[in-house]
Amino acid sequence: MSADAASAVPALGAEARAGAGLGWQMPRFNHRAFMVARRDFLAWAKYYRSSVLLNFGEPLTNLLALGFGLGTYVAKMNGDPFVDFIGPGLLAVTAMNAVTFDVTFEAYDRLNQNGIYQAMIAAPLSAAEIVGGEIVWEAARSLLYGAVFFSVLLVLGLVHSWWSLLLPLPLVAAGVLFACPGLLVATFAKNHEQLFYYFTLAVTPMFLFSGVFFPLAHLPAAVRLLIDVTPLFHVVNIVRALVLGTVGPGLWGDAAWVCAYCLALAALPARALARRLTT
Amino acid sequence: MRVIEARGLTKRYGTMTAVAGIDLDVEAGECFALLGPNGAGKSTTIRMICCLGDVTDGSLTVLGEPAYPGNRRIKHQLGVVAQEDHLDPGLTVLENIELHGRFYGLDGGQARARALELLVFLQLDSRAGEQVRALSGGMRRRLVIARALMGGPRLLVLDEPTTGLDPQARLLVWAKLRELRAAGVTILITTHYMDEAERLADRLAIVDHGRILERGTPREVIDRVVGADCLECLGVAEALAARMIDVAATVPGARAERQGDGLVVFGPDAGRVLEAWRTAGLEPSRYVRRPSGLEDVFLSLTGRDLRE
Repeated sequence: MSADAASAVPALGAEARAGAGLGWQMPRFNHRAFMVARRDFLAWAKYYRSSVLLNFGEPLTNLLALGFGLGTYVAKMNGDPFVDFIGPGLLAVTAMNAVTFDVTFEAYDRLNQNGIYQAMIAAPLSAAEIVGGEIVWEAARSLLYGAVFFSVLLVLGLVHSWWSLLLPLPLVAAGVLFACPGLLVATFAKNHEQLFYYFTLAVTPMFLFSGVFFPLAHLPAAVRLLIDVTPLFHVVNIVRALVLGTVGPGLWGDAAWVCAYCLALAALPARALARRLTT
Repeated sequence: MRVIEARGLTKRYGTMTAVAGIDLDVEAGECFALLGPNGAGKSTTIRMICCLGDVTDGSLTVLGEPAYPGNRRIKHQLGVVAQEDHLDPGLTVLENIELHGRFYGLDGGQARARALELLVFLQLDSRAGEQVRALSGGMRRRLVIARALMGGPRLLVLDEPTTGLDPQARLLVWAKLRELRAAGVTILITTHYMDEAERLADRLAIVDHGRILERGTPREVIDRVVGADCLECLGVAEALAARMIDVAATVPGARAERQGDGLVVFGPDAGRVLEAWRTAGLEPSRYVRRPSGLEDVFLSLTGRDLRE
């Protein structure tokens, strides 16, 4: 039946098969996906003050305590004062956290508690459009919270280059990069505790070992290789180069990694979500 | 025109068969009810009709289109009221249904206008700016119905729409559903409230264990399964009851059965059973004579055992 339908209505074939089986499916970015992002914006607009404060307070504390406190006792990093070194790293972390914690908890609740995704899928929305909408919203969050933190760096005199004008690019990429695995984790998690496995086993190690606080040159080669395949590391490299003005041809490598991650990770959540929503 | 046409519709989850080959026809403009105990397969059937679950076997056509998960051409003409409310706690009453309209392709102005219109229709207009968590159960249910109407559906599917509502709220929901039917919307409803089915349904099907046991207008089904007339006798001793059942069986079309410590007689005319008992000197001391209802049909078809 389904197979007949798919061949009779080719425009909908891909979606007809989306309900069954494992597989890759790219998110869709159309007007319905933007309405999903609009939903998130409307909900966010009701509590944005506390949300901005919360997502802003932690990296700012880190910057002040580690940068100006600990930093006084720390030698220069690659020739830069410690606070100048970790400032851009914390900017990338701010983007990662603003996206990760929002998307995992929110998507989990929308799927398992308040049924927001169930209501969406009963309307003419597909899982690929829901994923597309969430990615758009998380990219916007990454931009917004990144911009707020950037303004702090600016005020503290930690921005050293006009290259910073290109920061929206890595920030949007960070939105995609961290929204997709977060959505996937939320789709598979059986309870809130399981979300913390992801934070503890993936997000926190990335935070500590992605070159935010120290350069990786002195680490053993095997560890460097491991860090090289984590996405945050490349985002940190790009953000730091733009903020400090240390832009070189090596950045193309980071950019290529980030783009490859975005494409690969974006293909994962739609099928998983479709399987949860259509049975 | 047929709005829903199912032939041998089957749904299996692994080795469990939830829907075991049902045929179903719902005509345009009618209100059709699926009745059945919990676990009968009603919701699974509904999910397939709403393009939320794939069909294991058989065929299913909705609004002239084959139904499968993601068939947007069906979903665009469909309004769904699921068992759970699935309202968005992050949005206001108005935003909840306005946004839903945008999913159906309405632009901002159209969605706002339609949402306000529907809030008036479901008597929620004074609540437009409130958070949904401030609403009572009955209001939430009405809001879900308003949301289902945002796309201007030709088919409205409601899965147990009045479960958990107080009598006043149920009356209001029923009145609104009758208005919609009068306006030409085809309605498919599942319920285990027999009075709901009797009041709303033009036709109905009784489902159990994934199969349709009976179908027709409420009157037809009642007459066919139990007969129009019912006599309930209270507090009848065991030995007496056995003799009364034997005598009742001699009356054409009549059938008596033990029920608790009493006796229930169904048939086209219970008065004739009463006469036969009098003639045999077995007249019961306490009895109630009433018309049979869907409740009797339901219990007679699906049994009296408790369902999980």
